[in-house]
Amino acid sequence: MTQSTTRKARPMPTVPTGAPAARMPRERPKPDAAIGRRVIVDDLDAHYGPQHAVRGLSLEFAPNEVTAIIGPSGCGKSTLVRCINRMHEEVPGARATGSVRLDDIEIYDPSIDVVSVRRTVGMVFQKPNPFPTMSVFDNVAAGLRLTGARGGNLREKVERSLRGAGLWDEVRDRLDQPGIGLSGGQQQRLCIARTLATEPEVILMDEPCSALDPIATLKVEELIEELKQRYTIVIVTHNMQQAARVADRTAFMLTGELVEMDLTEKIFTTPGDTRTEEYVTGKFG
Amino acid sequence: MPETRTHFIEELRVVEDQALGAFDMVVEAIERTGEALQETDIELAQLVIADDDRIDGRYLEVHQSVLSLLARQAPVATDLRLVAALLDVIKHVERMGDQCVNICKLLPLAGHEPPSHPVILAKLGEMASCARSQVSQAKLAFARRDVDLAEDLVRQDDAIDLLNRECFKLALEIGDDPDTREWAMHMMLVARSLERIGDNAVDIGEQTAFVVTGLFREFTDASHPDGVPPLPAP
Amino acid sequence: MSTLVGIAPGRRRKDRLMRGVLAATTLIALVPLALILYELIKRGIGSWSADFFTTDANGNFLGDPGGIKSAILGTLEMVGLATLIAVPTGIGVALYLTEYGRAGRFGSLVRYFVDVMTGVPSIVFGLFVYITLVLSGAGGSGFAGWKGAVALALLMLPIVTRSAEVVLLLVPDSLREAALALGAPRWRVVLRIVLPTALPGLVTGSLLAIARGAGETAPLLFTAAIINGTSFDLSQRMSSLPGRIFADVGQAQDRLVDRAWGAALTLVMMILVLNLLARLVSRRSRLT
Repeated sequence: MTQSTTRKARPMPTVPTGAPAARMPRERPKPDAAIGRRVIVDDLDAHYGPQHAVRGLSLEFAPNEVTAIIGPSGCGKSTLVRCINRMHEEVPGARATGSVRLDDIEIYDPSIDVVSVRRTVGMVFQKPNPFPTMSVFDNVAAGLRLTGARGGNLREKVERSLRGAGLWDEVRDRLDQPGIGLSGGQQQRLCIARTLATEPEVILMDEPCSALDPIATLKVEELIEELKQRYTIVIVTHNMQQAARVADRTAFMLTGELVEMDLTEKIFTTPGDTRTEEYVTGKFG
Repeated sequence: MPETRTHFIEELRVVEDQALGAFDMVVEAIERTGEALQETDIELAQLVIADDDRIDGRYLEVHQSVLSLLARQAPVATDLRLVAALLDVIKHVERMGDQCVNICKLLPLAGHEPPSHPVILAKLGEMASCARSQVSQAKLAFARRDVDLAEDLVRQDDAIDLLNRECFKLALEIGDDPDTREWAMHMMLVARSLERIGDNAVDIGEQTAFVVTGLFREFTDASHPDGVPPLPAP
Repeated sequence: MSTLVGIAPGRRRKDRLMRGVLAATTLIALVPLALILYELIKRGIGSWSADFFTTDANGNFLGDPGGIKSAILGTLEMVGLATLIAVPTGIGVALYLTEYGRAGRFGSLVRYFVDVMTGVPSIVFGLFVYITLVLSGAGGSGFAGWKGAVALALLMLPIVTRSAEVVLLLVPDSLREAALALGAPRWRVVLRIVLPTALPGLVTGSLLAIARGAGETAPLLFTAAIINGTSFDLSQRMSSLPGRIFADVGQAQDRLVDRAWGAALTLVMMILVLNLLARLVSRRSRLT
């Protein structure tokens, strides 16, 4: 194979199979606690039927940091991210093997409820997708109602999530209006608020700004900058300037493998691998 | 040849050529300055001073081109390092041109028939020759991205420094004649300017190493005569 | 320089010819429909009266033959029961196909059978129910209204399923993904997100299936039979509008034939109303 100066994370100790699995804590300790989990991916393989989308990938997403994943189309970056909240397995014929841990909890452990994984690891999609039959308020509350969360002050939680998404001031007077009546950028922030409502600890973003205009994009990027203080954020983007603006660390993927991962500044000034150099300078022949 | 960003690659090449062209102008200026010095040719000195406008103009061109590239093309990685280095390099080139101007301005002050000390003059001639070859080598090293060639500039710079010190010693012992002493003072300033040209060439060599390795390292520093360890990567 | 040219005269002629041909075919298709409506209204409106709608057929050969009250009620009851059976079941099957069985072999099999069922002639459903429920005397009687409802339900089921499946597939997967990514179990995704989003389309599809069921005669011939007099009891024989029409149209008395036309007009009006309702609902929906 080609010589590469692959920067892999140091090898992770294997999770002992017989060890008692930890459960996702049902009650979050304190809503304002600034905990982001460290996400540790170890030797992850993901398939869509016969197609091998992610190959033996290992890396770490540091807590309370923004990590960007860049790479050409089809390199597996979206697949990787969908393995972290176990959405990958919802595709018929898809499977994933390997280890993904949130701190020391193995999310692929059979005793862990996949639904609880998804509450802890939230996801924001490329195209804003607020629920069309629901109002702004109901959209944000959907995160709570769909997961059967009971008790607590719903109004308060909704307001907190909307504030967290930087949307409160813009919608406080129209909470009862349909969610799809908002502008594109507002809809995406509404989706972010919806994700925040379940009080996740990791937020995955799959090209969150590619359907937005430049100003809406900048607002969302500003939001990401604030959110990272309380969450661990992973953002997949094909816009390298965005990765350069927003991410603390950047990982470059190619055909399912991790080529290089380092501080963003280093990737964009002195990348270690020639493939990374070729990709970021746009000279991908 | 990659199929993407061909326009950008072309633009980058043009800017680099613009900057490298300035080296040639400086080499010519040093040659003329050296000749003016040896022959006490005031008219040639005036020519050098006038021609420095071209070097200044080239500096502005390169500066503007770099700004344009940064704004429009968002260069990263090696391209970014190159563009940043070009800004630094063209500044050094422009400084080298200014040093030549400084030397040429001193010549009329020394008078049309200056009391000349042949040894000092010869050493100054050697220094000019050395400076000229340093500039040529700096240009070659940058154009070829040759780090070894760049580092070799230090050796040549050491030679110039040595000549500078020798001139200084000779000037101290030049005697009591006030005209001669005045001339010798001016020659010291000339020597200093030539030595500065050498230093600028070394700085350009450091930029060459930066473009290639991404590390900025001072080849020599007054406080670290044996070379400075590279700055740690952030 | 410019290569813009005028329209070639031959092409203009061809355009006009094509337009003419298509307009003609449209007219040919519309003319019979218009004629049917015309005949219906002409012959049926005369029978409409207050008595027509409020009295039952009384089987008299002479004198006033009565109205179609029991026929209307019978249709309403049987179609109502059939709807209660067919719509939830049909939507359930559609949900299975779109949420769980999109790729599997079983799903394809089910889909195939549903498609086949839409092609089955309605009389076959009637025969099936006749053999299994009527002859066997299930429920303690022979012909019964509820058995007619079952036959209608069998007819309506594949229609509901087919249209429901289309509407459910129109719900963007991104919504399902968003709900799943929030940590909702799949059944909740279906119940709280998919169904409400698809609701207008489901209603439209069901209304159309109901309209179809209301107009079917054959399934009722062997199952509910046709009677005179009133019957609200679904466990007994029951009248229906199509049945009434069938029974009356072949009679010698003009008044009975008139009643048939009146019933036909009534039935068409009912179906028209259902269709209009379906249209209204679909216009308010964002999917269809």
